[in-house]
Amino acid sequence: MTTAAENTVKVYEATLSRRQFVKTGGALVVGVAFVGPSILKAQGFQAPKVTGAPFKNSLDPTQLSSWIEIHPDNTVLIRTGKSDFGQGTTFTAYRQIVADELSVPFEAITTVVAGHTDQTPDGSGAFDFLGRGTPNIRKAAAYTYQALLDLASERLSVPKDQLTAKDGVFSGGGKSISYGDLVKDQQLKLNIPVSGDLTGIMGLRVEGDPPMKPVSAYTVIGKSHPNSIITSKVTAKETWATDIRLPGMLHGRMVHPKTLGSTLFSVGQLDKSKFPSSQVVVKGNLVGVVALTEWEAIQASQQVAAATKWTEWKGLPGNEKLYDSLRKEADWTTAQVTKSNANKGDVPAALASAQKKLSATYHFPFMKHAPIGPTIAVADVKPDGTVHIHTHNQNPQALRGEIATMLGTTPDHVIVHTHPGAGHYGRSNGGNSGAEDDAVILSQAVGKPVRVQWMRAEDLQWSTQSPAAFADVEFALDEKGRIAGYQIDHYMPAFQDDRPIGAILAGLPTMPAPGGGSGFFASTANFLSDPWLYDLVPNVAERGHGTFQVGQKASPLAVGLRDHSMRTPGQYQQNYPRELAFSEAAALAGADPIQFRIDHAKEERLINVLKQVRDASGWDTRPSPRPGAKSTGSTPVRGRGASAMFRSGTYWACVCEIAVTPSTGAIAVEKYTIAVDPGIVVNPAQLKRQVEGGAMMGISHALYEEAMFDESGITSRDWITYPIAKMTDTPEFKVVLIHNPKVGAYGGGSEAANALAAPAIASALHDATGKVSRRLPLKRAYVQALLKA
Amino acid sequence: MVKIIVNGVQREVQAPDDTPLLYVLRNDLQLTGPQFGCGLAQCGACSVLIEGKEVRSCVTPVSTVANQEIITLEGLPARWAKQKGLSAEEAKDTLHPVQQAWIEEQTPLCGFCQSGMMMVATELLEKNLNPSDAQIKAAFTTEGPSPHLCRCGSYAAIIDAVKHAASLMGKGK
Repeated sequence: MTTAAENTVKVYEATLSRRQFVKTGGALVVGVAFVGPSILKAQGFQAPKVTGAPFKNSLDPTQLSSWIEIHPDNTVLIRTGKSDFGQGTTFTAYRQIVADELSVPFEAITTVVAGHTDQTPDGSGAFDFLGRGTPNIRKAAAYTYQALLDLASERLSVPKDQLTAKDGVFSGGGKSISYGDLVKDQQLKLNIPVSGDLTGIMGLRVEGDPPMKPVSAYTVIGKSHPNSIITSKVTAKETWATDIRLPGMLHGRMVHPKTLGSTLFSVGQLDKSKFPSSQVVVKGNLVGVVALTEWEAIQASQQVAAATKWTEWKGLPGNEKLYDSLRKEADWTTAQVTKSNANKGDVPAALASAQKKLSATYHFPFMKHAPIGPTIAVADVKPDGTVHIHTHNQNPQALRGEIATMLGTTPDHVIVHTHPGAGHYGRSNGGNSGAEDDAVILSQAVGKPVRVQWMRAEDLQWSTQSPAAFADVEFALDEKGRIAGYQIDHYMPAFQDDRPIGAILAGLPTMPAPGGGSGFFASTANFLSDPWLYDLVPNVAERGHGTFQVGQKASPLAVGLRDHSMRTPGQYQQNYPRELAFSEAAALAGADPIQFRIDHAKEERLINVLKQVRDASGWDTRPSPRPGAKSTGSTPVRGRGASAMFRSGTYWACVCEIAVTPSTGAIAVEKYTIAVDPGIVVNPAQLKRQVEGGAMMGISHALYEEAMFDESGITSRDWITYPIAKMTDTPEFKVVLIHNPKVGAYGGGSEAANALAAPAIASALHDATGKVSRRLPLKRAYVQALLKA
Repeated sequence: MVKIIVNGVQREVQAPDDTPLLYVLRNDLQLTGPQFGCGLAQCGACSVLIEGKEVRSCVTPVSTVANQEIITLEGLPARWAKQKGLSAEEAKDTLHPVQQAWIEEQTPLCGFCQSGMMMVATELLEKNLNPSDAQIKAAFTTEGPSPHLCRCGSYAAIIDAVKHAASLMGKGK
């Protein structure tokens, strides 16, 4: 045993300890140390309680966990709890950010470890990757750099301020040393302060304030480095979650209840002569079938399902009566009414003295996340109680907590491995994507690993959805045609139900349903999520009203229409009525809709994105509707509309140009221009693809998407009954990326793009036809009816 | 027992005759390029080429494709090498131009649908090396069993990649 002396040095809020004379290897390992609230307070931090940090099967948070390793061969490994869901951010932006903080080339970061709860340090969901400008990995890199700088100064006997770093080498005073040589034959450990809840939705946060590289020193950020996972995906070398096969594994399929409120009456008899290897598992209202082969499991589950009897239930309003039911029957009084921090002035007085006024209600439907592949998981419940789950999940650490709750054990017994799969767009960011708990229950029942994949209909009918909403808007124009007062009341059911559905059906413990807790995720309060943009409006009142999920209280299963955040949760439901109302206000004022927005804005970045999108789209400045607007005939009429949004540090504006055929109600988006100012553009090529993708999804939402349901459950069951955009819906895209380094931070690149289209397309419809649709989607039948009326 | 020819290799399959080809490819032959998306021939995630034509493997019983030439994503490089008469040495590091273009255009977001998309692109470009935007959109939307769906919205990137692949194929590499 080596008994070398250990030095301990403070590096800002981090502690560096060194043990020399290690015989081989050596690495700088940046671990995490949990700092008690008192120490955090002494250092000036707001000190959230650190909870949920299991040691077994986790990176040991106090001693061995690692974010970043510098290796003697000058390569670097990084670990992040953020799983990739197609944004590519962990493989592009995260590497670029670390490379610049460390002053190493992009290529030096040879390994990105993500997605496994026992191999990554921080947790949280696959959302807001660059949010607030400082991902955890950036701070970890900044601490690492400071530690390396200390080491180099000591080794070279050159003061720190005389050393410069480039491409992984420190130079100064006529001497130089590479990072690899600095760490060679040493065992170095850097402890950094961390707070938060590992298995909570937001995970852990790296604390402290290490010096960061100035933006002017960036050499890697800003370049279009390729997304390394693409190659393995297009050459069939990637291991997808759908590809995981464990020894002795059985294939499982679920038999879901007949309705969202049905309980099990009797289980169908399995036909063993046809399905000899199959086995039925029943736990409460959860029914599943396992078999040796996937095809047998599918057929056997269908046979059992046809013979299984459930109680009837009709506790939903059905989509025809949805908005009536929400307004008249939902409980809007239990949850607190939320208010925007932009509220000011005296709106009632402004409305009373207005020259022109408008009051209107806007309707926003339930939409499905609708991943292109259904939820899939393989679970292996070992005899000693250890559970391995292979899945495709946006928040594996939170899933650990949920499975532990379900099994009555602690998270350290649960190990989650996340692999690539179909995008979820937020559906699994709170920890479960649907199949994981099913697979665990079946595996536990049969004592073997079980792979559960839902079929297409189940993935549409038993998953969560983005909640429906409506908003009442009133605004007033003064004699100059400016907005004198603006008032909006947003109504939306709870948006984040993270209870695993299999656990609910099986009667096993889960977290409470929304409304059973407090705060942003656990209450039914409807928080204002769409930052106010138009600072020059003198009187503003924005309020949020929340309620329970539709049908949840009436359902004997406590299920109903379960909701979940989707890309821009709440913000989407709030931005659509506001932006469409702003276009309507411009029309009422006889003003151009982009100039009208600019005239009510103070923020320079907002004004800039609006001007840039106006220029790039070749916008014709004039009021809507267009001269010659027409709502009849079988010849397409054209129109254009705009919208704007601020999300996660990023300003967005778009222009949609459409052609609508009044006789059929068909809308084609012909050209779609987007301007985006995220502050620092980290990877232009990747951001452009993210923006185009989000924008396309937004067109899909705007034109087609509405989850259909009757009194018993969701009736959308496939791509015919839940249509999404096709390639023929693709407009000519123009993406304007505004690199704005003086912001000094990077905003969120992809989430907001999907929300921009709906109000812009609805405004364009008004421009083309002179008629306003205040209801989504703008599908043919609705548009046709609107134009006929 | 059914004999099928996948990516140039004859394979004997024990699965029952009515088993959809997709499960045979993924579970019995470990060819995991094609994905399960809907099981209804409505999305195209499971597409393979059979005798050069796109087929939805999720609804195709394995017995119906006995002795026919099946190509999956895994088989695209060899298909290109054969078409171009590349030597074994040249073929070793050569991807199909469609795959190369998908990488260079950074086409996939989640990528789950892209195996099927690359099958359509290959079928299209083997017939037409200079497709117009309208022809590309038709190939991915109206000409197959159903539209090919991408939930992440990568259609514009796919159109870019098809055009790039066409130019790579035109150069013959």
